[in-house]
Order: sequence, then structure tokens, then C-alpha cells
Amino acid sequence: MNRNDADVLVIGAGIAGQEASLNLANMGFRVLLVERDASIGGKMIQLSKVFPTLDCSACIATPKMSETARHPNINIHTLSEVRSVVRSGKHFDVTIRRHPRYVDETLCTGCQECEFKCPVEVEDQYNYGMIGRKAIYIPFNTAIPRVALIDIDQCILCGACERVCPADAIDFTQEPEDITMRVGAVILATGFSLFQAGKKKEYGYGKFRNVIHAMEMDRLLSPTRAYNTVLRPLDGKVPENIAYVLCTGSRDISMDNPICSQVCCMYSIKQAQLLMGALPLADITLYYIDIRAFGKGFEEFYQQSKDMGVQFVKGKIAKIEERENGDLGLFYEDIEHMGESKEAQHDLVVLSVGILPGTDLRSVFEDLRLELDPSGYIGQPDELVHPGRTSVAGVFVAGTASGPMDIPDSILSAGAASAEAASYLRSLE
Amino acid sequence: MREKIGVYVCHCGGNISDTIDVERVRETVEKYEGVSLAKTMLLACADSSQKEIVTDIGENHLDAIVVASCSPKLHLNPFRATAERANLNPFNYVQVNIREQGSWAHSDTPKEATEKAIRLVEAGIARVRHSRPLIPVEISAVNTAAIIGAGVSGLRAAIELADMGTEVFLIERDHFVGGRVAQWGALAPTDQDGGAIVADLFSEAKRRPNLTLLTGADLESVSGCVGSYQLSVRIRPRYVKPGIPGDALAQAIQRCPVEVKNEFDFGMALRKAIYLPYAAAVPSTPAIDMASCTRCGACVEVCKEHIDLDQPDETMTIDAGAILLNTGFDPYEPAEGEYGYGQHDRVITLQELKRLMEKSGEKLTCAGRSIEHIAFIYCVGSRQKQGDNHHCSRYCCTAAIHSALQLKQKFADIHTFHFYRDIRTYGKQERLYEASGRQGDIYLKFSEDDPPRVETDGDDLRVHVHDLLTDGEEITVEPDLVVLVTGMVPSRQESLTQILKVPVGRDRFFNEIHPKLRPVETVIDGVFISGSCQGPKNAAEAVHSALSAASKAHAKISKGKIELDPLLATVDAAACEWCGKCLDICTYDAIQQVDTDGKQVALIIQAKCKGCGACAPVCPQDAIDIIGYSNPEIDAMIDALAEEVV
Repeated sequence: MNRNDADVLVIGAGIAGQEASLNLANMGFRVLLVERDASIGGKMIQLSKVFPTLDCSACIATPKMSETARHPNINIHTLSEVRSVVRSGKHFDVTIRRHPRYVDETLCTGCQECEFKCPVEVEDQYNYGMIGRKAIYIPFNTAIPRVALIDIDQCILCGACERVCPADAIDFTQEPEDITMRVGAVILATGFSLFQAGKKKEYGYGKFRNVIHAMEMDRLLSPTRAYNTVLRPLDGKVPENIAYVLCTGSRDISMDNPICSQVCCMYSIKQAQLLMGALPLADITLYYIDIRAFGKGFEEFYQQSKDMGVQFVKGKIAKIEERENGDLGLFYEDIEHMGESKEAQHDLVVLSVGILPGTDLRSVFEDLRLELDPSGYIGQPDELVHPGRTSVAGVFVAGTASGPMDIPDSILSAGAASAEAASYLRSLE
Repeated sequence: MREKIGVYVCHCGGNISDTIDVERVRETVEKYEGVSLAKTMLLACADSSQKEIVTDIGENHLDAIVVASCSPKLHLNPFRATAERANLNPFNYVQVNIREQGSWAHSDTPKEATEKAIRLVEAGIARVRHSRPLIPVEISAVNTAAIIGAGVSGLRAAIELADMGTEVFLIERDHFVGGRVAQWGALAPTDQDGGAIVADLFSEAKRRPNLTLLTGADLESVSGCVGSYQLSVRIRPRYVKPGIPGDALAQAIQRCPVEVKNEFDFGMALRKAIYLPYAAAVPSTPAIDMASCTRCGACVEVCKEHIDLDQPDETMTIDAGAILLNTGFDPYEPAEGEYGYGQHDRVITLQELKRLMEKSGEKLTCAGRSIEHIAFIYCVGSRQKQGDNHHCSRYCCTAAIHSALQLKQKFADIHTFHFYRDIRTYGKQERLYEASGRQGDIYLKFSEDDPPRVETDGDDLRVHVHDLLTDGEEITVEPDLVVLVTGMVPSRQESLTQILKVPVGRDRFFNEIHPKLRPVETVIDGVFISGSCQGPKNAAEAVHSALSAASKAHAKISKGKIELDPLLATVDAAACEWCGKCLDICTYDAIQQVDTDGKQVALIIQAKCKGCGACAPVCPQDAIDIIGYSNPEIDAMIDALAEEVV
């Protein structure tokens, strides 16, 4: 047996991938967890607080990450991609490409000396470019593994990091490495991608600087926030009158995404509540089509935000214009008042962007024919009875890889996938 | 006494340090007796911080640690594991909560919050100085699960657990399985028939040798604890034996003189006292409803071999390592007169409409009238401002819209009007809403303060609404049928709640420990909740949570043993004079009277003791201590809390 062989391969180490891995590891199965990014954690670790309990997201996600990383039955490969999955008898032969970090993971102590010395400053994608990072960097403070990597496209090869590293961990000679292994089952937990706000041209994202998207706002509100307060990007003014544009990129045929993203109403309401705490004087208005507060405790959370003074206006924003002072004019049909065309002024606009399918994995499965649903999410041929199953026997799906869902639902979906994978693995014995 | 203590004060990102001056806390507690080192940390729970603590313990030979951060409910175990990795006994660790009890509670008064934090941390240090190294209690676990409720989620959990290798007892109160899904007919979004899904699951369940289905079964009592619960189950007889020939059964049913309303059809159809609720019900052996049977013997005459009116009740005991509750929901029952319900026979609920659709031929008819125009009124019994049900019932928008689509498909000339507040066809279900719009269904939005009014005029119905989509203009619809889109309330399970003591939330559904960290677990170790008894869910979501619970339960009990906290009561046998007061107050049956060298004393049964502490103060001899909360520890904490903050 190859030392990399495992009972189950889990692709994606966001909250669903971690939950599925932990469930299976706790049953005694050996899990190989593969993550494309440099750290495990996925999208949840970027969030400020989470609805409807307003728990601090990092406080839930960080220990879970640590538990995953420390579990004796879980073997993690970060900065790695699954290249192919091929059936071989009862098992799957899997090839994984480990991308180079240019830093020896086993030597780096995470001391950050290299970061201080590196002369190259680029946008920090973890904070959506609101602040900078170096070309050699640790993705975020609580990253796992907490070791540096070099962004080789930005690196000028000056060697400053190599000279300062006390552990001699910098290694520019690293090459991509393919490793192969055999697994019994596969769980797809590849998550979602965020709707690109710039695609909705009439909202001016990318052109009007005071139009931001909701993930950026979550970073601004996070305990590890960039500016320690909420500032609008153009001039650093503290906003006083904030608008949320719901259904940006969702329920929108013109964006080729007719379905609802399931999380935006609630995260917008959550942000509105957090903003009322952070900026007690600010007015906050949500422009919506329907408020979908459907989960446990969600409706109560929505009613609470109304009691706190959040304004709700039924109307889809048609277009946004920028004023000279950076304020924004929002044009909308006021549906509850004769459908009259109206214009509202705000000094910061947050686009409640929806979610879209993540990576298309079909080519990885080659001849096994992994099927997608009409929206491009991983298909569930028997979603009512066997929600974890995909079109390929032995391959299961967890979390938002199968469709939009919030964190509690992702966790339950991961639980379902791990149960079905466990039964399948037992049937191989 | 621990004399080399490490203290870590966490910023929690900014959750703590935005209010509390963590550096001042650190400086102050550093001087406290027994403290070797004190540090602040950005996020103590981060992997890198845990590594730093491990290194500190090794390099400084620390003999105890304190982490001042969030509630121990959240992160006690990760830090215990950190201590363990540094070869420090995990019980030489104390967690101090300066977030929920500090920064979050006192965000308006940072100075006082900081002083409170100092006192709390000092009390924690005082406690840890007295801490002793302990070994967890290990108990054995039987790899058997008892599942209460054989609706779709219970059936699914049972099959999955059986396949994973756990023995399963599936306990159903009713004589037939399938719960609410069996009643539903076509399910959204796949149009699969609920009854057919139930029949498939039933035959799958029957194929598993390690799965036992008990129908007509009531849970009478439960004792024991995680790893080994003893469930006493009373099984009510069907009075009909399996294998009854079809023609004999048909005759028996025909001869039965008793007619009662069939609950399965919400009383819209009748059944006999010997009955199957619907033709394809499973198990397919009928049952006799003794509450309405007159014991006339007409059915026995037809088939003596298979019908026995004197079948006795049976009681059995099940030894199970874990219990899964899948007790489901009840549809909200509108009050008499709520939108005309109970006053006009063409005002019905969505659940009743579904039965009507199943039973109608080519034309949809209700109370003798052929139906063409239907008014759906949403949020009946949900999102109530007044009333008990503040929650959204989650499944009903999609269910109503799916029904409108089915109606159009199945019956000609149906027109539907939807009186709604918000349409919540979240996620992919949006496609159904879109399809409903395309087929010409009409939507009218009402305000929560101004609901539609249902008016009856002789046999005719009128619904008036101030439609927000047309500037609040009053619109009147004259439908043939009014359908109340009724939500979910938890299934009536008072006895079960009493037997198992599972807490319920403000919405009266069973409460999980944490919606994200432990969504299917309860505060009762080894008792899991899934499906709609935890909160409203559609069928697919109920199955997700059922499988999740199966996964957690299997991981818990399949290894043969379970580790429990040793923070339990302990009796000083020399001081004990056996008076029985501790036995009386213990709610966990964890105290036993035993003979030790001719003396009667109390003994704690470790597997059952929860360390709740109720027994310690009632002991007149002061012979009981709670390990980890002994008198010297509590005294030291009180002293530390009472000290002036310098």
C-alpha cells in the first residue's frame, strides 16, 4: 500500500470539507483532504460574524480547522489540485498536483521575517485588495498550515527573503509535483464562487469606488478588519447612509442566473445589524424583492433588524449613478407605492452578490461522467432519498458544491455525504 | 498546589480587546501568586497559538495553564487537547470566560469590564492552583441505536446506520410508517410520489437483518446514559396477523360496521375500524383501531386465523448506545374561524388540498363543487406577530407553488391566486416560482398588519386584500376554494419530552447545542435530533439532517467505548453516614447505597453522574465533593473575586 492511500478523498477544505473529513475520521476512516488554496478554511474563515446567532465566524471556524489539521486520521495537502480520478476495480486511482510554495513547509516557522523584508507589495486577495500584502506571505493570521508561500507571478527574484530566513526554508527550485494514490470513495466539497459584481454593469462596481460588494463589507466588519472601522473607499469618509442592493446577480435572467442564492438576504440583514453597532448614527436601507428569512431563527432575526431601525424597501435597483462628491443615486421602481420610478441618495452602496457554482470538475473525472444540474452545480440524481450521491457511484457531494446553501445547511449536507460515503466504504469491505 | 502557571489572555480578534484592555489584564495577573508567565494572544484558538502554548509548557515546565477567552462551552476541549500535546494533564487547565461574561456583556463600560476580567482571570488562576491531574472515565458503548419516529427521516437514518454496521431499532408510534411524506403525494421539486418513496424505504429497511422495525410502539421510559440507554417500549397489537389473504381482508373490511373519519385524509374520507390508511400503506397488514372497534366479531368470522381481538400488549427493553429523535411535525391547525376555516367547507388547508388532489379524478371537486378558481393564503400559522408561531415554516411557499403547478398539470381550467407576504422559494426552488409566473398564476402581496379577509355569502366565497403590488388597492377575488397555506408546528410529544428531558427552543421545536458546531446533538449526551422535530424542513432537508445524525451517532458508539469527563461527584466514605439525602436529590439515578466494611455509605455511579453538583450541598456531613469544584477550589475563587483590583 502506498503511504498516500486513503479510504476517502475529500476535495475542498472549506467548512463542508472539514466537517465531512472529521465525521469520517472519527469513524476510523483514513481521509485525504486536498485544498487548492494555501490554507484550509474556505470562505467561512473570511466572514465577520454569522447569522442568526451572530457568533464570531473565526471563533467557530478556527478551532474546527485546528481539529481537522490535528486529527491523526486526516492527511492534508494544501496548494494542491486533483488532476484526475479514474476507476480501477472497486477503487479510484487519483492523481494530485502539489503546486510549489517555494518555501519548505517542514522548515518554515511562520516567523514572517521574509514578509517584512520583501520589497514587493501587491493587493491582498484575502481582504479583497483593501490592503496590501507582500509577494512572500502567509495568507492570513490563522492560516493552516501557518507557513509562507511565494506568489511567483509577482516575485522579482531579489532573494531578500532567502537571505533573511532564519530557517533556510526558501527554495526557488521547487517544481510542481504529481502524486498518485488509491482511495475507496471521493467527497466533492469544492464550494461556490462569488458572483463577479462588475458584470452587473448598471451598478457601476469597479467604476464607482463607493460601490462595494458584501464580502468586502464582511471584511470591513470582521474582528481582524483592515481599518478598524467602516470607511468608504473613495475618500475614507465614515458612511452615514448605506444602501444594500439585494439579488445582485441572483434571480436575474440577464445574468444567466435565474435561481436564488439562498444566503444574501440573511447576510445583508446580519451586516445591517453589525453596522448599527459599528456606526450607530448611520441609516441603513435594504432594497429587496422578497426577504427570504426561512431557516431556524431567521425570521426572528429579520424582525429584530426591523425593530433596530433597518429600513426595507421592496424594489429592484435598475441603475446606479455617481455624484460629484462620490455619493450615489439609486434608481428603482417603488413597488409598494404605485410602482413609481424613484431615486434615492446614499453615500455607500453594498451589492449583495449571489453565489455561483465553483470549479467545474467534470474533466477531472474523465470517463466517469460526473453530471451537473441545469445551473452548473454538481447533480444529485436522487436528491430526496440519497442527497449525498452524485451520478458516479462512490463519489459524493457536500455543501455548496451541490447548490446554494448557508453554513448550517452546509454542515448538515456534509453530515449526509459522510454517512453515505461511510456506508459505501463498508460495502467495499 | 500548582506553582508554575501559564496564563493566556485572548484578544479574540477584537471581540474581547475592543472593549477589554487585555494588556492591562496581562500585566496585572502576571503578578498573581503561582504565575510563571502571562501573554496576550490575537486568537488563542488558532493553530499557531496552540503551538506556542505547547512550546511554552515544555520550555518553562509549566504545571498548569489558564486561557482567558470565550465560553468554555465553545472551546474547552481544544485547549485541553493542547495541554495534552504538551504532556500536561488536560485537567490542569482552566478556561476563563471574558467574552460572553466580559466584553460582550459590558461593551459600554470598558474600564469596569477590564476590572471584571482581571478578577475572573485571578479566580481562574486560584482555581487552577488547586487542580489535580485526572484520568477520564471510560465507559463501554453498545453499537445499537434506537430511532424514535419512522417518517422519512427516521427511515433514512435507520437504513444508513444499519449499513454503517450499527444495529437499529426503529420505533414508530403509528401502525404504519412514512409519517407526513406518505400523506403528501407529489413532492417538490422532483414530483416524486411521497407514498412511493416511503414504500421503497420500507422495503429497503426490511432487507437489513440488523434493523428491527417496531410499529404501534410507545416509548414508556428511558434509563441509563450514553453508551447504554435502556428503553422500555410498549407495543400495541394490530389484532391482525401478517399474511392475511387479500380477499379475506377485503371482506373483513367490508363487513366491519364501524365508520370513522380517516385521519390520513384529515377526516375528508371515512375508514372502517379495521383499516389500512391508504391502499399502499406499509406495513401492508391492516390494523384494528380498538378505540372505535365495537368487538362485534364480524371481521373475525371472515378470517379467524388472521384476526385475533385478544392479542395482548407486549413490552420490550432495548439496550441502545444512542437515541435519535425523528418525531417530525404537525401541520398548524387553523383556529375556528381563522380565514373562515371550520365555518365554510371550501376553506381547507394545504395539507387537505394535497389529499384532495390525490383522491380527485379528472375534475378537482370539493364539498360537491367543481373547482376552477383557488385562492392560496400564505403564512397561516407562521410568522405570527400575535400568537405562538413567530417562525417561518420554510417549506410552505415552495409547497404551495408546487401544488399550483401540479394542479394545472393534473386538472383542466384551474386558475390560482396567491396572497403572500414574501415568496420564499430559496435556492433552486426559485425555478418553480418562475414556472408558476409563466403559467399565469396571480400573486397579490399583503402586509402583516393587514391580512386578507375571507367573506362568505351563502355558499360563495370572497377574498378581499389590499394588494401592496398595486399601491394597496382593495382587490376582491371570488374563488371556489380557499387554501390556507399552513405551516409546521412540532409534533405533540409531551410524554417524550418528559421522558428524555430534551430541551425545546422558543419556537417549541427541539433545541440543538449549536446550529453550526453541533446541529444534531442535544445537551443530553447520546441523544440526537433530526428532521423536522428540530425545526421546519422540507423532505430533502430532513433527510440531510437525519443522515447527519446517523453519522454522528455512529462515530460516537461504534468504537465500543466512550470517554467521559471525570469532573464528577465523589464521596468520602469515612465521613458518609448514609442518610439518603443525596439519593433523593439526584436526577440522574447516579447514587447507590452500598455496604463498606459493615458501614452503609453512598457510592457514585460514574457512568451516570453528570457532575451537576446537586448532591454536594445537601450532604449534612459535607462528605461529597465535586472533582474540579471542591470546596478549597471554590473558596480560593471567591477570595480572588473579592480582592481589590490594583
